[in-house]
This record gives sequence, structure tokens and C-alpha cells, in this order.
Amino acid sequence: QTCLLIGTEKDLDVKTSKYNALNFLPMNLFEQFQRLANAYFLFLLFLQLIPQISSLAWYTTVVPLMVVLSITAVKDFISAFFPPSIVKIRLWHAGIQGSLSCRIVTEKWMNVQVGDIIKLENNQIVTADILLLSSSEPYSLTYIETAELDGETNLKVKQAISVTSEMEDNLKLLSAFDGEVRCESPNNKLDKFTGILMYKGKNYILNHDRLILRGCVIRNTDWCYGLVIFTGPDTKVMQNSGKSTFKRTHIDHLMNVLVLWIFLFLGCMCFLLAVGHYIWENNKGYYFQDYLPWEDYVSSSVFSATLIFWSYFIILNTMVPISLYVSVEIIRLGNSFYINWDQKMFYEPKNMPAQARTTTLNEELGQVKYVFSDKTGTLTQNIMIFNKCSINGILYGMSLVSLGRYIPKEKVDFSYNKLADPKFSFYDKTLVEVVKKGDHWVHLFFLSLSLCHTVISEEKVEGELVYQAQSPDEGALVTAARNFGFVFRSRTSETIMVVEMGKTRIYQLLAILDFSNTRKRMSVIVRTPENRILLFCKGADTILCQLLHPSCRSLKDITMDHLDDFASDGLRTLMLAYRELDSAFFQDWSKKHSEACLSLENRENKISIVYEEIERDLMLLGATAIEDKLQDGVPETILTLNKAKIKIWVLTGDKQETAVNIAYACNIFEDEMDEIFIVEGNNGETVGGELRSAREKMKPGSLLESDPVNSYLTTKPQPPFKIPEEVPSGSYGLIINGYSLAHALEGNLELELLRTACMCKGVICCRMTPLQKAQVVELVKKYKKVVTLAIGDGANDVSMIKAAHIGVGISGQEGMQAMLSSDYAFSQFRYLQRLLLVHGRWSYNRMCKFLSYFFYKNFAFTLVHVWYAFYSGFSAQTVYDTWFITFYNLIYTSLPVLGLSLFDQDVNETWSLRFPELYEPGQHNLYFNKKEFVKCLLHGIYSSFVLFFIPMGTVYNSEISDYQSFSLIVQTSLLCVVTMQVLSGREEGKEGGKISLETTYWTMISHVFTWGSLGFYFCILFFLYSDGLCLLFPDTFQFLGVARNTLNLPQMWLSVVLSIILCMLPVIGYQFLKPLFWPIIDRIHHCMRHPLPYPIRTKLKHTASRRSAYAFSHKQGFGALITSGKTVKAKLPKRNSSHYKR
Amino acid sequence: MKRKCQDYESRLPDNTAMKQQQLPAFRLQLSANEILSGFFAIGLFCLGMGIILLLSAKSIREVEINYTAKCATCAKLREDATNFDKECNCSISFYLPQKMEGNVYLYYKLYGFYQNLYRYILSRSNIQLVGTDVKDVRNCAPFKTSDNGLPIAPCGAIANSMFNDTIVLLYNFNSSTHIRVPMVRTETAWWTDKYVKFQNPTFQNLSSAFAGTAKPPNWPKPVYELDEKDPGNNGFVNDDFIVWMRTAAFPNFKKLYRRLHRIGNFTEGLPAGSYSFIINYNFPVGRFQGQKAVVLSTLTWSGGSSLFLALAYLVTGAVTLLASFSMMAVHLKLKERKTFFLQ
Repeated sequence: QTCLLIGTEKDLDVKTSKYNALNFLPMNLFEQFQRLANAYFLFLLFLQLIPQISSLAWYTTVVPLMVVLSITAVKDFISAFFPPSIVKIRLWHAGIQGSLSCRIVTEKWMNVQVGDIIKLENNQIVTADILLLSSSEPYSLTYIETAELDGETNLKVKQAISVTSEMEDNLKLLSAFDGEVRCESPNNKLDKFTGILMYKGKNYILNHDRLILRGCVIRNTDWCYGLVIFTGPDTKVMQNSGKSTFKRTHIDHLMNVLVLWIFLFLGCMCFLLAVGHYIWENNKGYYFQDYLPWEDYVSSSVFSATLIFWSYFIILNTMVPISLYVSVEIIRLGNSFYINWDQKMFYEPKNMPAQARTTTLNEELGQVKYVFSDKTGTLTQNIMIFNKCSINGILYGMSLVSLGRYIPKEKVDFSYNKLADPKFSFYDKTLVEVVKKGDHWVHLFFLSLSLCHTVISEEKVEGELVYQAQSPDEGALVTAARNFGFVFRSRTSETIMVVEMGKTRIYQLLAILDFSNTRKRMSVIVRTPENRILLFCKGADTILCQLLHPSCRSLKDITMDHLDDFASDGLRTLMLAYRELDSAFFQDWSKKHSEACLSLENRENKISIVYEEIERDLMLLGATAIEDKLQDGVPETILTLNKAKIKIWVLTGDKQETAVNIAYACNIFEDEMDEIFIVEGNNGETVGGELRSAREKMKPGSLLESDPVNSYLTTKPQPPFKIPEEVPSGSYGLIINGYSLAHALEGNLELELLRTACMCKGVICCRMTPLQKAQVVELVKKYKKVVTLAIGDGANDVSMIKAAHIGVGISGQEGMQAMLSSDYAFSQFRYLQRLLLVHGRWSYNRMCKFLSYFFYKNFAFTLVHVWYAFYSGFSAQTVYDTWFITFYNLIYTSLPVLGLSLFDQDVNETWSLRFPELYEPGQHNLYFNKKEFVKCLLHGIYSSFVLFFIPMGTVYNSEISDYQSFSLIVQTSLLCVVTMQVLSGREEGKEGGKISLETTYWTMISHVFTWGSLGFYFCILFFLYSDGLCLLFPDTFQFLGVARNTLNLPQMWLSVVLSIILCMLPVIGYQFLKPLFWPIIDRIHHCMRHPLPYPIRTKLKHTASRRSAYAFSHKQGFGALITSGKTVKAKLPKRNSSHYKR
Repeated sequence: MKRKCQDYESRLPDNTAMKQQQLPAFRLQLSANEILSGFFAIGLFCLGMGIILLLSAKSIREVEINYTAKCATCAKLREDATNFDKECNCSISFYLPQKMEGNVYLYYKLYGFYQNLYRYILSRSNIQLVGTDVKDVRNCAPFKTSDNGLPIAPCGAIANSMFNDTIVLLYNFNSSTHIRVPMVRTETAWWTDKYVKFQNPTFQNLSSAFAGTAKPPNWPKPVYELDEKDPGNNGFVNDDFIVWMRTAAFPNFKKLYRRLHRIGNFTEGLPAGSYSFIINYNFPVGRFQGQKAVVLSTLTWSGGSSLFLALAYLVTGAVTLLASFSMMAVHLKLKERKTFFLQ
């Protein structure tokens, strides 16, 4: 079998197809100049080429622009032509065989086309929508698992229509198949399909049961053949996955706004300076014409002022630094690499490191407010484990986790049982001892488990049983019975073979009273070898306890207590009971049953009445508790995220009971919650009513006109508007069903839904379609203006992953869909807390520090020109050497900034994880916002003031009066001050969360970067001002000898020191005084003083509403299939086609 | 079953300090005490520095005489450009109450003369001045060529506006004896300027080197006649010219004109007594309301008589000390309120 890529390459193609070798350069340049900033610099460049207004040498703009463009181009080039190799390794390979002509050929999934007939094998993932033609199983049944699609873990059955199932695996027939399928056009309805197969002159109706969707996994079926109906983007799953949009962060938007502000500020400045120039020309310049006549084209001072406006526009352009965008990208890239490199996010069993698939969203990870999580495969492992049981009032099994500490336990030794499943583990020895002792009740309990189910066994190798269960719960129960010595070995349509403590016994299966969603129980009636007739029943306790015989009331009470315990541990519970039937009574009932089965009218109803007749007066056996195994560390992670004020909503396609159960198990719902609202209305009105009454309870008065949010909404604000945060009176939970959600998402109700849901501590949405998941995310995005994160593993999560600000894919599971459309991928849910609290927080802090520092340093740098204008006749004379202007952002200050924004850690990772409260400032965007920007501006103005006037005072009327020396003093002071600001942490000027102003993290690299860059400045200085260079290009390098002559003057250094002191001390003083005057609770120190006690989960007795998570399919069970004998692999002669006609 | 084609090589990220963000780092945490004592220390340093600077600035003797008004007749004459060929001398006497010890420097000082205008600063040809190509006048607008089309040497607005008053200092030994104070006219410019940046074109004869060029319109004589006595001070390497070409940063500036030649009576500096300046008034400043002054000054390690640095340091020191006292007061008073500032 060849290894082939599965059809995920198309997803990769989308990213890479933009460029080819020829069009790369022009296209890339075109794209880059579409960026406002780059276009602006191109415009500036053209301005500079106009000699009349050029006030700076052309290279001041060209050099940085070239550097910036080429860095971006190289980055694009690498990502276009060398896509991250890691993705390729990650692709799981699977053999897939497409049958063309008579011969089966192997083909890549991406080459599969509509109309191909393909062969699928057990455990393969289907990557196209396929019409089932035939399969290896009787009646052409095919079992599929749809966890990827809807999060449900039970198996589902698909069946081929009889005409095609006759073809079986006969290649001749298959290749000659010339049917024609007419079906609906591609759409996103996962549970609907209509079509017609025209074959041999007849029409056959096709429905959803014949179609295997992309994303399903073939289970328990050796092979099946199918006709490809939809491929690629036409498949139902892909139709559901929503549009992928280019994601940009809030900081990006803010940056664009700020750049506009700077433009405005720049315009004002230039205007004022132009006015100044006009006045100066009138008063002074006109009379100075002896020495400097006006240019010929300058007719008046107004005209001259107009030119000066543009000249200053060029000079002051450094306020909008060209390197801003490129630096931001480098920082993000660096911080993404940290995520890829993190050993603590590496998952050993799957050999999967975490992956930052996008490098543009990092700082947003530090601002997440809402997390939308899938359930199956994300929170849970999709493994069921028989954990505890209560038999005849005695509790067996201990929880592994008790008060948050692991108690080491020994596994129970099942070696006495040769047929035991080695993977099964149980930790309570007493149960085994009781079984060995031969306790009657315990034996009966396990016997009932081994008989009352619809599992099919397979024994390919003697003694190695494989169970094929419809749901993993059921499999877990039967496996448990198997290990304790009651091995279900095989079944026919009429018998069940059980090996009881080594002895093989055959029970006659008289009837299966199958599970249904309303009955919530199933029963079997068997005749024992001793000719007793027994009914075994298992089901939801709420239902079953009403059917019990009055004599077992006391036992019932004890068992109910145990069930409460189970439920509070988040276990799925089932109750078991039995009834010994009188032979005559059974005969009687059996007749009624067959009558009901044969009746044509109202059959379902009649059957259930018959069932109820016999499921009475049951004797309680006990209860089981099954753990839907959560992924490691999920409850702890959710607790931590909750402390960080991150709200977690579970959006799942699974049914309500299981979802709620998991919600309790992983701390999204807590026993201490005041109330949990369930919204399950069937029309808009009821849903609205339910939502409103829930809100009234959470916040009395919130429905009144006087409520601030209501009165705000009555003003009919223009969208997009933001709904303010509302504080409920306690902690509440909300459960909403998919069909109710459909109503709630309509027009006027969506605000009701949003307001109610956002007040709740935990929200569970069940039975959601993929598109609804995206709608919910969009809703929160639209009205809350906060950062959302969606995390999921399956194809059904793709839409929400794409919709949310940040999409996280849990990878290493079977499908790749979620991971391929995600922004970040890792293999365990618990890594989310590290991603957010450590990497996200650091990225956000670093980005904010970077931005405020970056804006500050450019203001300080640029505004010096403005002060100088007052002394240079507003003639657009720069203060600095043109080469200093060229290199300032590019070389002199870039390294300290990078050191700051790649290595800074305000608190280390242990603290960020221990005190999730530190995450909050990011959610409110406290570290960089418009206010912070204005602070930067003011600080920059102050610094430029000092940086201009101190050197000016030094030079004014002194013996070093020349312009070039003055330039050098200002340059050096500026660079020292700006570098000192990095070291001293001016960036700490933020509210909250900071320990103290001087907490900066000085790694060796930061040291090297900072001091190195200062030293580097002086080296470059001596080089640029050296004799050789200046003599080679006397007009370009004019500052010959300035460094040598000025740097040894004591006045110069006195002036530099004074500038540094004057720039630094106010900042330090402000940082010192600020917390004294405006005490803010410093989160870290506060927490350090008052460490929170480890939360001890108190066990509360609560209503039984949480229990009864009988996790069968919400559809009909397999009972009918079993009793009809269809699933039994008795190799009947299949040639007789009439036998299979339905 | 699924299987991977790739061999199972571990993709565990490297455990390096860099990749795991565990680089050894120094976390600088200053306590309140440290910050306050830092403030005190800086305040004291600034005060001390201010006092030292003040004392050294006070030790400087300086005489500044503004002669714009005093030579009003000459100034008026120069208003009219047609009088360019008329000489005008002006004598200003002053009394030096204390002797000026050590090296004494003679400066001329201009008020309101904008040497820092953008177009003005650019209007020079470094290629010409370095002697490689005398006829390179590319950047010299608006003084590129003379009326008859010859390239100007030295070209440009800076050179054209060169200060051309001559100042002679006389020591009035008594009412009848006037001794001309010996002055050195060289070594007033930077060494790098004189010997690297400014070079005469290499020619046997300086005047022939400048053949084919015109003198700047404002100049009375061509560049090769700036100092005919000293060939090392003539042409582009003339110190007065070089000093002028190093443009000032601000509209009020002083430039070094002469140094005292310490011989004879003047070995120890300028003795106290009566002096007079004889100024050959050529440079017109009336048109743009400028003023001219002549300055005699000594120097110390910290420069001239400018008090700015001294005062700035004193003020900074005082303010810092004040600030640190008030910060301490606030700190002590509000200590209970704050929850955290590191102890």
C-alpha cells in the first residue's frame, strides 16, 4: 500500500498560489505599496525629488524604504515559496484507493473527482461527500463516526440502496455502473440530502442516509464502495466552514487610527511653521536678501511659506516612522517562534509541538475575553471509562483525584480472567474480591451488564475480543463486565454467549426493548440456561426509579445518594435493575408485543405502551458511573482562565445532557452556582421570554426602562455599537439548544441573547450546527468589541475558528480541518492557558511597550526640528545630520527596541500562571490605547524640549557656536536619553499590573543590544565623519572632523549629562509618585501577600437534574437491527438477492 | 490503520535558554529608599557641578563692545552699496580695570545674522573648497557665477557674506603711546578644517590656480589675496575664511578672530589699562537690523563666560533636591496607603 497525502493540499494551495517566480517582484511591490504607510513614503520620496521643497537629501527616505520593502519582500518570499515545512510532516498519511476502469488504482485524494467510484477501508477518513454503493457488511450497512462533524461520539449507520448493494465488491459490475445521480446543489445542511439515482431505467430516491460526508470516519466496516458526489469546497463540511478572512488585531486598527492622528498633528505643525515662516520672511528674510536673495520663483513670502509647508512635511515625516510596521512584524514573528519553541507546549505522545500558524496575531493572545470551545476532542478525550459503581447499596471504586491531590493507587489485577481487556484499569480491589467470593448481587449486576446492550463482538483471533459498540459508554460497560469475569463473547439474533467466571453459558435472547430518546432506557429479556426468564433494564435514573418495585425503596435511597456523589464528580450515571418474569406472563406479553409490532397504525405508540407494561416492578441492582475522560488538566485550565476573567462558552453539536455533564466536570458550571437557566423554546416568543426572565433574575431591574443599557439601546445607536458590561447579582449558567438558538439569533432577539449570555458565568450551547457556532462568535464580536478565541478540533469547528479573532486548532486528533484553518495549533486543551497567560501576556506587554516606546522616541526625535525652526527662520533646516536621520530608526535605535520587545518579561512565567489576574489589563487594553499614546506624545514633546534647549543654551553665545557641533550634541544627547529610557523602563508608565517602575528584565542580549548599539553609534559617527569618506564624497558627508573636535569638549558632555538627568528624573519621579497618589492594587504584590487558598471542591447535594446522562444516540438504537439478525455475520448465502429486498 | 510515512523522529523543541525564554537575566528592582537616595545623590551632584561651573565661569574676564551704534557714521555709509570703495574707520576706546591673564581671544560677534538658514547652509561647494575642482559650483545657488558667467570662487552665499571688518586692538600705554597689541591670525580654525577640509588647488602660483574664476560679488578682492604675506594662510586655507565657513547654529553668534600673541608686555596676558579698537568698518548689518560686537575673553576648561550650564545645573540640582524631599514626605505620609511599592 502506498502512502499518499490526504486531500489537504488544496487548503495549503490557497496560501501559496498568489505568487510565482515571475510575478513575485512586481506583485509583491504592488501589494506593499497598497499599505498606507508605504504609499505615504513613496509620496514623500516624490516630494523630496522636487528641488524647490526638498529639505532633506533623497537618501533619508530611500534607504529606510528600501530596507523595509526588502525585509517584507524576503519574508513574503519565504512564506510563499517555502511554506513552513512542519505542515507537510504533520499531514497524516493514509492509503486511499480510487477505482478507475477495472483495476483499482491508488490516487491522491486531491485528484479524486466527482463521479469517481472509490473504495474506502476501515478507519479511513472520508474527504469527499460520497454516495454509498455497497459495503462489506450485511445489508450494505456502513458504520461511521461523525465526531468531526457534530461532536457526537456514537457510531451511526448508513445503508446503501439495494440495487447498488448487490454489486458488492465485484469490480466488473462497479466499473460498469452507469447510474446517473441528480441531486441538490452544494449547500451547508449537514442533515439533509435529496437526490435521485437513475439506474437501469428506474429512479431511486436518495436521502441523507445514503450519503457519507466528508469528515466522517469509517468504522467497523472492512470496506465500502462509494460514488463521489461533492468534492473539495462543495462538500457539506466545507460549505459550513465559513469564509476565511484576513485577521487583523485590535492593535493594528489602533495603529492605523494613531497614524492618522499623527498625520493630522503633522499637518497642523507644518501649517503653523509655514505661518511662522511667512512672518519671518516679512520681518527678517526680506531684509536679509543682501546675503541670501530669494529664489527667482519666489515672488512673495506667502509663496515661500507654501513651499515651506511641504518642506516641513518632509522633515517631520519621521513622526510616522517607516519602520513601525516592519518592526511590529518582526516582533510578532519573534514571539511566534517562542510559541513554536516552547517545550512545555510539546505533547510527547503525539510528537506534536505547538505551532503558531499565523504570525500576525500574537499580542491579541494577551487580550482574550471570550473563549469558545468545542467539547468532543477538545475538552474531552472521547474515551469512556468505567469508573465507579454502586451494587446493592455498596459503593465500589474510588476517585483518583481527591482534594486536588493524586493518591497513588494500584491497578486491580485481572490476571485470573484470560479474556480480560488489558487496557482496562480499575482501582478498587474490594470489588474483585467480592466477585471472586461469588456475591449474588454483584454477579447479577455484571451479568446484567454483559446481557443488556446492543454491542456486537468480533473475535478474529481466539481470545482477543473486539467490541463494536454504538456508543463508547456502552462499550465501557460491557468491557467492565468482561474484565470482572462476565465476558460477552458473541451473539446471534436469538442467543447471547457469555463466559461467566470461566464457564460458558448461552442465554436465549427473547426480546430487546430498545432505547429511544423519550424512554431513556433499554431492556433485554433473556431465558437463562436454568430456564428462568429475566428482564434486565438499564437507563436514566430519573426514569428508572419510578419503575422500581416498592420493596427496594431503602436501597433506592442509598443508591440515589451514590448517584449524587457520582454526578458531583461529573460522571455519567446509569441505573440497573432486573425483574424475574413469570413464564406465562411473558408469553402473554410476547403476544401483545408481536401484535403491536404488526399493527399498522400508531405502531410506535402501541409498542411503547407494551414496553411499559413489562418494565414495571423492577428490582434495583445498582448504578454505574462512567467517566467521559477529560483531557489532562482541563478543569484546572478552565479554573485558571476563569480567574483571568476569561469567559468560556462551550459550543457543541452534542446533546444537552452530555454537554452539561462535561460542563460540570470541567468547572464551567459549578455546584455553587445560583441558578442555571435552560432555554429550549420552540419559537421566537418563548425563547425571548426565557431570555428576559433569566436576565430579570440575574439582575433585577434589568428589564426596566431605567436600566442604563436599555436606555442606551432606546437611543437606537448606530451599529457598530458596543454593549457595555453588565454585572449580575450572582453566578449563573445558561444552557441553550441549537433550535432555540436559531430563533435567538434572529434580528431583535440577538441582543437579548447576548446580554443574557454575557451576564452568565458559563454558557453551554448544544446541538449546534457549525454555522451557528460561527454566528454566536460573530454576535459576541459584533457587540462586545472584545477579543474572542475559538478552540476546536473537528471539521465542525472550522467556521468558528475562522470567525473568531483567534482560532486555535487542537491537532494530532484524526482530522486536520480545524488545524489547517487555525491560527495556532497544539494538541492539548491545557496548553491554552500557557498560550494565553504566558505567551499572550508577554506578547501583548512587549508589543505595548514597544509601541509606546517607539512613538515616544520618534516624537522626541522629530519635534526637536520644530523648536529649531524658531531660531532658523522657519527655513526647514534640520537639527541633525542627514545620515543621522537616515539611520536613527534603522540602526541606532532598532536594537534596543528589539531587545526590549523580544526579551522583556515583566513577570516570569510562574507568576503569570500563578496569578491569572495579571491577565486582566490586556483585556481592557490598558497598556496601549489612545490615552497612552497622548502620554507618549506629551513625553516626547517634553524630551524634545529638553533635548533642544539644553544644547542650545550650551552653544548659544559660546565659543563652540557652529551648527555641526550643535547637531552632534543634540544627536548624542537624544540617543543617550532614548537608550536610557529603554533601560529604565519608561514603558512601565502603565496602569495596573506593574510591580514597580524599574522592573525590566535585563538579559545578556538586552545588554549587548543596548550598550552595543550606543557603542555602535559612536563607531558609525567616527566613520561617517572620517577624513577619507568625507573627502571621497565632500558634498554627501559634510561633517568632517566634527566628532574629533567636539567629543573632547567638556561642555558637550556636561550638556549630555544634564539632558539625560532632566529627561529621566521626571519620569522616575512620576513612576514613584503615581502609585502613592493613585493607589492601584498591584496585582502581583497583592496576590503575594494574600495567596488564595487552593479551591477545595465541596460536595453539595443537589437536584438530580445533572444526572441521567445516558449517552446513547439520540436516535433509535441498534436493537431492531440486532433482533432482525442483520448485524450477525452468519455468512448466509447472499446470492439470493430477493432476501435483501426491503 | 493510519500510519505515518515519516520516521518517528522527535520534534521536541530544543531546550536552550533562548528558545525557552529562560535567558539569565538581571531584574533591576529599586526600592523606595534607593530611588530617594538616588534623587538626593543626583541633586547634590548637580548642585556641586553647578557651583564648580559657576566659579570657573566667574574666573573669566570678558569684555564685549557693541560697535553698531558707536560707529553709526560708518554704518550709514555702508547702507549704500555704491560706497563700497570708500574706507571707513572707527575707533572705540575702553578701559580694562583688571588684567586678563593667560590666553586672550578676540572674537567678533554678530546679532541677527542667520547663518543657519537651510538654503544658506547648503550654498557652498565642498568640492571646490577641498581644491579638487575650482570650477565646481553646483550647490552654490544663488551665487554660482558672476555676471560675466565665470564661476565664483569661493562660490555660494556663505562665502559671499564673509565678515570682512578688520579689528585692531591698541594698548594706550599713556595718552600718546599706542601700542598695537600683537595678535596671531592663524590657528583660529579647527585643524581638520584647515588641513583636510579646505585645500587650495595645487598650482605653483595661487592666483593662476584661480584663473578663470570670479571673486564673490561682495568681496573687495579675490580669494588669493586674503593674506598675501602668509601663503599658508591665503586662498581657501585662510583662517578667517575657514572660521566663517563653519556656519553658526543660531542667529546670534561669535566667531574667533584673533589670539593674543603673548610676547613683550603681553606675556602674561592683557595688562589692565586703557585700550582702543580700530575697526575698519566694511560689513553692513543695518539692512537686516543686525548688530556687531567685538569680544575679548579668556577661557577655562569649561569654556567661556557663558553661565548657562552653571545655572542650569544649579537649578536642576535645587529642583531635584526639593523634589526628593517632597517625594520623601509623600512617601512617608502615604506609605500605609500603598500596598506594594517595594521596600
